[in-house]
Amino acid sequence: MTAAQEDPDWAGLRAVLPRATAASRPFWDGCRRGELLLSHCNVCGHVFYYPRRHCPSCAALDPGWKRSTGRGQVFSFTVVAVSFHGSGWESQLPYTVVLVDLDDGPRMMSRLIGPGRESVASGDRVEVVFPEIDGQRLPFFRKSG
Amino acid sequence: MPRVTEDVAIVGIGETPVGRLPGMSSVEIQAQAVLAALADAGFALSDLDGIINLDPYATPNSMFSTTLSEYLGVRPRFSTTIDVGGTVTGMTMLQQAAWAIESGFCTVAACVYGENTLTGRADNTQGLHMQNLLGGEEWEEPFGCQAMVIPYALVAQRYFDLYGAGPDDLGAVAVTTRAHALLNDNAQMRKPITLADHHASRPISSPLRLLDCSLISDGGGAVILVSGTAARKRGLRGVRIRSMAMRTTHNSAAVMPDISGFGMAEAARDAFASAGVAVSDIDVAQLHDAFTISVLVTLDALGFCPPGEAGAYVRSGATSLGGRCPVNTHGGLLSQAHVGGMLHIVEAVRQLRGAAGRRQVPDARLAAVSGNGGVFSVCGVMVLEQERAA
Ligand SMILES: [Zn+2]
Repeated sequence: MTAAQEDPDWAGLRAVLPRATAASRPFWDGCRRGELLLSHCNVCGHVFYYPRRHCPSCAALDPGWKRSTGRGQVFSFTVVAVSFHGSGWESQLPYTVVLVDLDDGPRMMSRLIGPGRESVASGDRVEVVFPEIDGQRLPFFRKSG
Repeated sequence: MPRVTEDVAIVGIGETPVGRLPGMSSVEIQAQAVLAALADAGFALSDLDGIINLDPYATPNSMFSTTLSEYLGVRPRFSTTIDVGGTVTGMTMLQQAAWAIESGFCTVAACVYGENTLTGRADNTQGLHMQNLLGGEEWEEPFGCQAMVIPYALVAQRYFDLYGAGPDDLGAVAVTTRAHALLNDNAQMRKPITLADHHASRPISSPLRLLDCSLISDGGGAVILVSGTAARKRGLRGVRIRSMAMRTTHNSAAVMPDISGFGMAEAARDAFASAGVAVSDIDVAQLHDAFTISVLVTLDALGFCPPGEAGAYVRSGATSLGGRCPVNTHGGLLSQAHVGGMLHIVEAVRQLRGAAGRRQVPDARLAAVSGNGGVFSVCGVMVLEQERAA
């Protein structure tokens, strides 16, 4: 459960890995390629997160995918100081959970890593990164410019 | 506008001891609460023909209303288990009971929740695991969102950013609620706290600290509802449900709307309109307080104060006993016990009966109860009123 060493910010990262469904699999496969994919309704154009088998705006089935720029700003954040997974998780503390408003529209929950992760403020600009944890790449964010 | 039948009354309340109840299973706790409520109402176990309960979160079961019926020793004509979410479930149970009684499916209904959350969890080193609580495991857990406090911390930070609120606003709720718990012999927390204690308590998930978090509790609460006819036949004057309204807007914190998009304000508007009352008519309020931030957001949403001013409103003493409209007079989830909001309902009834002892709100006639499940994912508000002598 440790990140590959390709970026020093990723060293030692742990995560509970997602259990994908057939419908969400393309999202997680996109992370593997370094792409943040948002669901895109072919009928009404609604762009949404998280992926579903239908458009929650117009109910059309089989939405497609649109690649996000992966850039956005912090809507809210929390610096977590305690482990909810026993002592094995204490190496992660403190860590920062963020809600990011993507420039492409949707809001998503993620984790902020890298420099300044404990001194973040709402409105800060962030960009997606894809650290590999136990063979799975996860769409985390880091502060940008 | 949704209307609740006027011909159903709450005639019994029951509350088990709270805190650590080692050796008691969840079904035993729920049965004890039901028996206490039946005794309070003056009904026999054999009178009970409706059972509505909530399944324990810490030790999930299936068919739990059936389990409870068997354990109690009753053969109900109406039985169901409800889990709308957190502290809204209690009022949803009352809604089902009112409908079941009104339509003749049962005549004496028990609504009950209780479990051994403190001593019965599989692993006491962890917080209450989020699975089956917010539902969005795939979009929350990989990012470290693994306990209920984290979504509420995100709400609290947003509240700070929107309104310039701060730790003093959260702390005011913690201190006020603790002061009320000290007047309740059945409360887990027995020591007074100060604002300084709040600010010095352990950081959990910024900006929330330990004293911003509700308790983990064993315990249970129940209420008995009957038809107005049944109540009158026994000369009982019960508490009426004047109105009830709910709104579901989301579930997972991963797709949480902004605070203005939560359903609490809409639920409150509908509940007050349906009852034909204004927030200024409410004498006592039992409001969702899983975290201190919940109370601030709810006070704003119900209209007790302009948006963002709940902290100043609490500091003014308005929510304290002796204030404009005392809130969580029993000590709430923060300082009495977290029994899923059932004890908010029990306490509202107790206040309206004038039976709250040292913490009685003088002449309490109208009570508001609010609940929320998830992270303001489903919000509910109801208005209760003591029936007057004919
Ligand atoms: Zn659509």
